[in-house]
Amino acid sequence: MKLYAYCLVDDLDTLDVQRPGILGADVRALKIEDLSVLVSDYQFDAVPVTRENALDHAAVVRSVLDRTTPLPFRFGTLVTEQQLRNYLSARKPSLQIRLGNVRGCVEMSIKIIWELTQHDKPNPPYAATNQGAGTTFLAEKRREILGDEHRSQAASEISSWLREKVSGLIRDEQVTLRPAEKLVLSAAHLVERAKLHSYKEAVSAARQERPELRFLFSGPWPPYSFANIELEFKTQFGVS
Amino acid sequence: MELSPENPLSAEPEIDTSNVEEFVEQLRCVTDTLPSRINIDAQSVEQGLAKLVLTLIEFIRRLLEKQAVRRMEGGDLSPEQIEELGLALMKLEAKLQELKTQFGLADEDLNLDLGPIGRLI
Repeated sequence: MKLYAYCLVDDLDTLDVQRPGILGADVRALKIEDLSVLVSDYQFDAVPVTRENALDHAAVVRSVLDRTTPLPFRFGTLVTEQQLRNYLSARKPSLQIRLGNVRGCVEMSIKIIWELTQHDKPNPPYAATNQGAGTTFLAEKRREILGDEHRSQAASEISSWLREKVSGLIRDEQVTLRPAEKLVLSAAHLVERAKLHSYKEAVSAARQERPELRFLFSGPWPPYSFANIELEFKTQFGVS
Repeated sequence: MELSPENPLSAEPEIDTSNVEEFVEQLRCVTDTLPSRINIDAQSVEQGLAKLVLTLIEFIRRLLEKQAVRRMEGGDLSPEQIEELGLALMKLEAKLQELKTQFGLADEDLNLDLGPIGRLI
């Protein structure tokens, strides 16, 4: 019998809420040394990637968020109890550092949509002496490349602006910029719970400053963007 | 850290936007580009390999284009050389387009998500 692993948490003896896990299985806290892993029994070899399973995984991880900050495992992590014990024993120092990095925090998400055409500045035309197809092609590429550069600069400016607005209120951030797309910025902020109210106020005020941008603000979430523990696990045991 | 009056945390996450439909549409686009699990059958393996190879060629092609434009703007190419370079890059783009069609790939397929570094192209 394998175990489905949801998340790693600081020492947790009991679960306040009995939230069913994947395929309705009972979730329990498996205590290993001074860490705990939320697990449920799983009898198959792989976990189907379905909406229901993904939501079950997220709900279990979230169920402990009001008591502690979990380090989520990647969706679909199947492992034997012995493998899990070996893994935690071998990786305990680095896992405790990772837990320490997120302890007392939650993840907040900001996504920004912009109008791509707003950043298409007119470029000075290329003065070609030859109007052949090859020269015309390169002149058109030049126009595209300059447009890309303008958009990249504008996207970086938005990222810097947002960083300045939440400066001092976040412990860490993960920002993805996609200047060529409408969804130009996706930011995950690691926010200490004690600063959550101030953070929300700062973001709310910032949104008023930039009416040309559309915002999607969400959270609090478990710190999925700051966990990254599945790779070590995969490397060590070859499980997926 | 446990829940306390100093550390309030609502039971459910808030989702706040005035542009729900637009974000749903954009997030669907992002989800569609996420790598799915690989089905090991002859056709999908061939397409996956073609996608990887063509992505790298596309990356190099764009680098060549940028380099050509820089040289053109720098004034170190004669009009004939610019024309010749432009024609060569135009043919390369057309050939790549032909290969994409052959393997059933769209423009947005030719990219790699490099995680924290961002996308290749």
